[in-house]
Amino acid sequence: MSDTRAGGSRLQDMGVGVECELECIDLPDGPAEALLERGVLPGSRLCMVRRSPFGDPIVRVDGTVLALRRETASCLRVRRVAAA
Amino acid sequence: MIPPVAERTAPGEADIEVSSPGSGTPLVALVGPPNSGKTTLFNQLTGLRQKVANYPGVTVEKHVGRARLDGAHEVDVVDLPGVNGFSARTLDERVTRDVLEGRMEGFRAPDAVIAVVDSTRLESQLMLVEPILELALPTLLVLNMSDELAARGGGVEDGPLGRRFGVDVVRTNARTGEGLGAVRGFLAKAAQRGQGTAGAPRDLTGGARSLPVVDTFKERRERIRSAVSEADHRPPSPSKWTERLDAVLLHKVAGPLIFLVVVALVFQAIFTWAAPLMDGVEWLIAGAGHWLSPRLPAGWVRSLVVDAVFAGVGSVVVFLPQILILFLFLGFLEDSGYMARAAVIADRLMYRVGLQGRSFLPLLSGYACAVPAILSARTVEDERDRLATIFVTPFMTCSARLPVYALLIAAFIPAGPLLGPFVGIRAATLFGLYALGLVAAIGTAFLLKRTLLQGKSSSFMMELPPYRLPSLKTVGLRLLDRSRIFLARAGKIIFTVTVILWALAQFPRTPEGPPPVEDSALGQIGQVIEPAIAPMGWDWRVGVGLVSSLAAREVIVGTLGTIYGVEDATETSLNLQANLQQQLDLGSALALLVFFVFALQCMSTVAVMRRETAGWKWPAFQFGYMLTLAVAGAWLVSWIV
Repeated sequence: MSDTRAGGSRLQDMGVGVECELECIDLPDGPAEALLERGVLPGSRLCMVRRSPFGDPIVRVDGTVLALRRETASCLRVRRVAAA
Repeated sequence: MIPPVAERTAPGEADIEVSSPGSGTPLVALVGPPNSGKTTLFNQLTGLRQKVANYPGVTVEKHVGRARLDGAHEVDVVDLPGVNGFSARTLDERVTRDVLEGRMEGFRAPDAVIAVVDSTRLESQLMLVEPILELALPTLLVLNMSDELAARGGGVEDGPLGRRFGVDVVRTNARTGEGLGAVRGFLAKAAQRGQGTAGAPRDLTGGARSLPVVDTFKERRERIRSAVSEADHRPPSPSKWTERLDAVLLHKVAGPLIFLVVVALVFQAIFTWAAPLMDGVEWLIAGAGHWLSPRLPAGWVRSLVVDAVFAGVGSVVVFLPQILILFLFLGFLEDSGYMARAAVIADRLMYRVGLQGRSFLPLLSGYACAVPAILSARTVEDERDRLATIFVTPFMTCSARLPVYALLIAAFIPAGPLLGPFVGIRAATLFGLYALGLVAAIGTAFLLKRTLLQGKSSSFMMELPPYRLPSLKTVGLRLLDRSRIFLARAGKIIFTVTVILWALAQFPRTPEGPPPVEDSALGQIGQVIEPAIAPMGWDWRVGVGLVSSLAAREVIVGTLGTIYGVEDATETSLNLQANLQQQLDLGSALALLVFFVFALQCMSTVAVMRRETAGWKWPAFQFGYMLTLAVAGAWLVSWIV
């Protein structure tokens, strides 16, 4: 599901508490499907709620809290949105 | 050590028999994501009328129970593994999909489905459940933890939701039993309808495989979004408690420290707190043996019952308290939600050696027993990561090694202080053996992921459920399950092995009775392998011990006791220690310790590896690899010392 569109920032670079919308997932189908099943898909609202002790992002999506690796979060392109 | 592996129930043995169609009682499947409270609901519905077995061919546990309803109606309920999807990346997902689609061999298709979701995470949970709702089976959608949804200011109308999906909707709080009446009502309706005819196999992917994956999910989300907005869904505000706890438990400094404390606590529990209970069990078994002995006819019957059955099976049953305490702790950690946080903290460290956060639970459990540990690795989504995890798990110092370590350390290592008054030489030796096993595990994982199991690491992700108070009933029932399975297993494998060993020691008969051990078939086996182990300074007696410990490591203690003619051989027996001191020198004793650190002396582990990897290739490689390390390590030590 490679999408090489430039633009957008990486989820990994977002600050804690910033609301953003997922634009695309730069991951092969297998690992991407695990994200899709948990409701992380283009158009989803994401917000990093904190970082783990070793700096990996912990995000909230649709009321579910997911811990990701920063390597994964670097493959998620997001757009900042105004907080509702 | 012995495996709390679920045994497949023999046909006829079970009063709940769901394998054959036409048995009359309808079958209802419970399905839902992990941590949705599905198992709590299952326990509320079936209580003690449940059976644990395995699905054919895989070690995924099959939980089936019978619910009795008003008016003498009955239904069987199967609690499917908690899953996040049906793409069959894990064994659990494959089993759940196959059962729901009616493709599970030897297991009939369910007649109705209860889909359980955590209503505080409604939208993402419906992502899993929506394909099930479309299966066109009679379905009940259970909005569990609805009290929590309301308490956190959220809400949803069940009427519109049910009409939209064409199913019945019930709000419950499985822990308190709220809403259970309606669930029973659904079961009663299923019971009245009776057993449906298993139709054509269904398809959970909705035949949508032609679409790109992402579009399938996008469409599904659109349907869910419009359904929940029709149902006036207001998501709850985040749980204050969970946020407060996470601020501490996932804190940069406090998080890892608390993690270490929790690990230390689990260790403390399985080694220190379990000890008095294990002594108690040992005392009971010994007492029963002494009581029984004079009541049996002297001769081979008494010898078989007392020496083989009581000594052999007893040496294994002794570990029951330890296993139960481990599962008690792990159960609380898992059900409270902490285990997910622990996995996140461990992930960075594990990632460095080629494993991942979900490998942490199996490796920690490996300190009690490799068999449940290997089974718990089923949640590792990446197949290479799972193989690497279960390959190195037997290096973790399981409790079956402890009696061997204790015996040899007490016999050969002086009791003096090493570093101040608190760290003695003996304690340091024991610590060294544990560390050696851990280093072997890490090194092996590192090597494997760079050679045989090479490949781009998958993206680890972990859902962090809200913290919740574990249900005592759920934890208690799980412990009951474990004891039942463990005892059944000890009864089968270890009983067989000890009886064979006992028989080998009885022949060839002499006019006076059983032969001296060195002349028996058992002793002759030892003498055959003696040349191979002579370089390590071991004689045929140790050889016999090694052969018998192939079944389970701790068996060597009892075997050496028998050979030296020591009655009541335990790791603390001074007689046995004195005998060993005459036969072995320090170098060969240390070599024996190192051998036990590395060698895969455990039939149960080999058996479970075969099932989990679906073949002999991995267990054979693992056995050979660990044996090579063990022999090389032992030889090196005896050469140096």
